[in-house]
Amino acid sequence: MEPLRTDFTGYEGKYVAIDARTGEVVLADEDPQVVLEAAKNLDHVSVRGRVPYPSEPQYVGLG
Amino acid sequence: MASADPGQLPWVYPYREDPQSTRLGQPVFRPFVLISLAAAARSTAVLDGLIDTGADAILASDLLAEQLELDLEDHDGETTHAVGGRTVTARYKTVELRLHPADPTGSRYLPWRAQVGFIGGWHSYSFVLLGSVGFLDQWTVTASRFAQAVAIEARDAFDERFGILTAP
Repeated sequence: MEPLRTDFTGYEGKYVAIDARTGEVVLADEDPQVVLEAAKNLDHVSVRGRVPYPSEPQYVGLG
Repeated sequence: MASADPGQLPWVYPYREDPQSTRLGQPVFRPFVLISLAAAARSTAVLDGLIDTGADAILASDLLAEQLELDLEDHDGETTHAVGGRTVTARYKTVELRLHPADPTGSRYLPWRAQVGFIGGWHSYSFVLLGSVGFLDQWTVTASRFAQAVAIEARDAFDERFGILTAP
């Protein structure tokens, strides 16, 4: 199975929601509650979380 | 929303790219499944839940408790964890969790109840970590980085596949 790919470029520091069929970012905001609220009742969409900056360390689990 | 028939399992989810750029020049893919949380008449958006076999419990950002209007002062219990060189406190509440298929439409999910440890100052790529108690004891989870997918089956599927194991 092909993994779901997402281009997170340009969303660093923002919280994002993703189209589960395409991997495309469909919602993004610096305020997580904005994304969590906007994604409610949207079909095909799931909220991922915050996109880190490239300089941030790679976390494992909770980090 | 309406719940789904457990007979529809297994549900298979492709590994998903992590927003962290790369590891050794290669993309990072992780085993996520789609879940939401609910309490009383409120529910969260569908979330990418990261399967973490090294975690003992389900842990989540307290932002989700805000979404559910939970009073974390009235918790079931709290535990302090040492994580990444800092200390965090998880305050546990029992909520409904809903497993959604890989393409969530809102009309299909499988519900169960479990304690979730809500943490302030959450620091992870997804809002939820799905650990042993509450998740891996509810479902048989098969993750394959080779197949780049994770499959969720009923929790009895493991015994049906391998038999009931006794200590060696």
